[in-house]
Amino acid sequence: MIAARRRRLTLLLRDLAAASAFGSMAISGQLPLWGMAIYGVALALALFDRRVLSGRGLLTALVLAGAGIALYTLVAAGSLDLVLAACTFAGFISAQRLLAPPTPQLDAQVHLTSLLMIAGGAALSADLLFALTLVAFCVTATFSLGFSVVEESLPEGADFPLRPLAGRLAVGALAALLGAAVFFFAFPRLSWNLVGRKVSPSWGAPTTGMSDRVSLGGDGSIKRNPRVVLRATLEPDPRVDALDGYWLGTAFDTFTGTEWVGNTQLGPPQQQIELARRPAKTVHQRIELLPSYGSRVLVALDTPTLLANATAHGTSYSSRVGLQEVKGQEVRFSEGAISYTYHAFSAAPDAPGGDPGHDPQRYLGLPPTLDARVKALAERVVGADREPLAAARKLQSFLQSDYGYTLELSPSDDPLADFLFVRKEGHCEHFATALAVMLRSLEIPARVAGGFFGGERVGKQYVVRAGDAHAWTQVLVPGRGFVTVDATPPAHRVAQADTVFAALVRLYETVEEWWRSAVVDYSFIDQARFARDLIRPPRSAPESQAGPRSLAPWMIAAAVALAAYAFWRFPRRQRTAAERTEATLLLEGLERLLARHQLRVGAGEGIEELSSRLEAQAHPLAPTVQRATRRYLEARFGTRPLSPGERQHWLDTVARAAQQVEKTYLPKSA
Amino acid sequence: MSAAQAQSAAGMQRTAHPVKKQGRGWGRMRERARRRRRLGFTRIGRTYVVLTVGVGFGALNTGNNLLYLLLGLLLSMIIVSGVLSERALRGITVRRLGTDAAFAQEPFAFRYAVTRTAAGTTFALHFSEEGELLTGSATAPYLRQGEEQIIRAQCTAPRRGPYRLTGVKVTTRYPLGLFSKSTILPLEDLLLVYPRRAFACGSPDESELGPVGEAGNPRHNDGSGDILGLRELGENEDARRVHWKKSATAGRLLRVEREREERRSFVLQVRPGLGADALERRCEEVGAQTQRLITLGHEVGLEADGKRLRPAAGTGQQKRILRALAQLGFGPGAAE
Repeated sequence: MIAARRRRLTLLLRDLAAASAFGSMAISGQLPLWGMAIYGVALALALFDRRVLSGRGLLTALVLAGAGIALYTLVAAGSLDLVLAACTFAGFISAQRLLAPPTPQLDAQVHLTSLLMIAGGAALSADLLFALTLVAFCVTATFSLGFSVVEESLPEGADFPLRPLAGRLAVGALAALLGAAVFFFAFPRLSWNLVGRKVSPSWGAPTTGMSDRVSLGGDGSIKRNPRVVLRATLEPDPRVDALDGYWLGTAFDTFTGTEWVGNTQLGPPQQQIELARRPAKTVHQRIELLPSYGSRVLVALDTPTLLANATAHGTSYSSRVGLQEVKGQEVRFSEGAISYTYHAFSAAPDAPGGDPGHDPQRYLGLPPTLDARVKALAERVVGADREPLAAARKLQSFLQSDYGYTLELSPSDDPLADFLFVRKEGHCEHFATALAVMLRSLEIPARVAGGFFGGERVGKQYVVRAGDAHAWTQVLVPGRGFVTVDATPPAHRVAQADTVFAALVRLYETVEEWWRSAVVDYSFIDQARFARDLIRPPRSAPESQAGPRSLAPWMIAAAVALAAYAFWRFPRRQRTAAERTEATLLLEGLERLLARHQLRVGAGEGIEELSSRLEAQAHPLAPTVQRATRRYLEARFGTRPLSPGERQHWLDTVARAAQQVEKTYLPKSA
Repeated sequence: MSAAQAQSAAGMQRTAHPVKKQGRGWGRMRERARRRRRLGFTRIGRTYVVLTVGVGFGALNTGNNLLYLLLGLLLSMIIVSGVLSERALRGITVRRLGTDAAFAQEPFAFRYAVTRTAAGTTFALHFSEEGELLTGSATAPYLRQGEEQIIRAQCTAPRRGPYRLTGVKVTTRYPLGLFSKSTILPLEDLLLVYPRRAFACGSPDESELGPVGEAGNPRHNDGSGDILGLRELGENEDARRVHWKKSATAGRLLRVEREREERRSFVLQVRPGLGADALERRCEEVGAQTQRLITLGHEVGLEADGKRLRPAAGTGQQKRILRALAQLGFGPGAAE
């Protein structure tokens, strides 16, 4: 009965290993849904131990052959990628093996098919979840294989001690994972990562919310979304943990009363678009828009001057993509893709700006239905001052001090009036709209810009989350162009992740960011840098950076060496510990006991020599000590370990004999 | 080979330890080489290595980092498998308990007493004799530290004769079943394999003594062994078998029946100068005749190789004859 349960456990682990391997392919989101459904059904049946293909070998072989032909036809027709077809077919073979009656040979076939699927997963996906499936596969397959090996050598119906075997296998699996990490980082890279599919479609709908209009009636739930949508490398590197900057995507100039809208007149596709004259000091950005971004609009740090070298990434391709400008509003990619990379140059924050010649009239329009109280409020706050920036600052202070921030909003016919005069709380779009409309009511040109605020440093990059989506106001200042004035309270400009789930997702995204930079994009340049830092720490780094950076490679090397040493020493330590608890403890106890009775082991003398010495001296304790010594030697070097309680028995025996000797001989000598 | 030597087949009690130091210089190196670990692929292991090479090829050609990671894992598993199997083979001690009787081309139980002196439990150990002559292995699914297990191998020897056993091969596929690693524990011994058990096609030679006609010692005509019972004397039966006292009581002639009614004495011969095949056939035939005659209660002796075994009855005599047959044609110290 126990043996049957053990066998069931082995099969369960085998099936879970296969599930992990299939999962590594499935997380790419590229496998055909019908293929995933078939495998899911097969796996569920296998997990419930329903091997429905028992005795149907020929039939299943024919079905597999049919599936292979069908997949090949799809590949030939161009509707399925060859790698995907191969992965799907591997899944079918695995499903067929899962449902066949288990034998040791079949178990091995399932594991080998799983290995193929894991390799397919590595080719299909670069997601962090791949690492999890790899670890799960390693652990479950190790346990399943280990149990199988022992089961095969068992007589019918016999059992084996599970705990020691599981312990050894767990140590083995852990060591294999550590070894994989060491190999990964240490093995010299001989080629670029050209073929790997770095991009897979985003799970769930894209969440950025970048569109050609901003409606004030919408809620602000996006502010709670922690998904990373953008990664950027900045040069010069600001070296701050949190970036205090605006990522401009779209600027709106027309307010209808309930929403901001832009125009849809696209310019011709170009390789690069110059938005303004390039100042002397710029910030170069290499930006990657992730699949979760879900929009064609480019973003760059405010104020962008040049956008160029855009590349679109699909599941199996990367190609140059053109850029199209919507004049005065935004720049878009000319083709849709899963993700994009491009370069952007923006004016440095301290660089003198220039007016590219905006038409002020374009940014003064107001809806005819605008509540008259808006203008009155603006005049009351600003007074007689009509200098654009000063007026904007006054209104900004007013809104930040007198209005609250909330993401919980109800629909309204006039959302601006509702915000300014009724609720007196809203989110960034309300603040930005209120400021822009009040400025326009004072004949000061202004517009609302949309994009992201901030950025969190992860490694050497900055990541921007969907929750960092933001709207703000830009005031047209003569001679300077548009200047950003943000009326939203500073604490509420970045993502508002206040739930446990959001925190978990944030953690996941952070780990994934590390995964991408340290694993997926690892190259021989990183290896060379690592080796260089190991040998010669960079001297030019600032004081604050030099310490940790120069120590990091050494710490990693030391950790690896320690782990290897611990793995090597583990069995020896275990053996030493085992010996101490039995024979060695008896020896130590004996020596202590004899020392208490003035019979000490001399220099260079062992318990054997002491025993011989006592015998030569005809010591009355010699026979007892000799018996105990012989038993110790048997336990320590022979094949008769001490039974439970035997150590104490011998110690008590020697102690009693020693007391007896003292009682008998000491009074006489006294 | 002396009878004392030949007895070692059944009473082997020597112990093989994982010897740390043996001999000096060249001898020590040779000994080490002999006891070196031997590694073989299992079926799944062979495919695993092919897949690993494939993944490595893919990683090197494409530069896909995840393939490098997978390659690292696969190679690490090989190393871990090697380390754990090495640990599993350490501290194994084997003692041959031997077998009761080993006949050529016939499976026989061969017992070992195995112990582990190293810490922890080891798994999936297979014990067999070094070399190819003796097939079959014993299995210890697990072996705890300090615990002695008696395990039994179903061995087969291809032909009769003395086999010089040089060592016990300990093999394990633990932990993952990818590789089969083995080590040799040196343990010299001798196993004597009796001739193949076959049917005796020819009749034995004429018995030297016994009731053939009326010749021979009359005592032998009275059977041998304990009295089994009495039955009525039949026609033409020897009147000397009549139990007169009981017959007088019963009023009819009753004869004594003993355990062995007719005991004859045979001396089987293996003529010198036989060729290899003929010698084998004759040994098998003599072995089978011995078995049959001894079972019938006769005394059997052997004349072979210029030596003579005095006729005697019983299983002890049968073993003596089988041992002599097993060594026939092999000079002293000519064991395989």
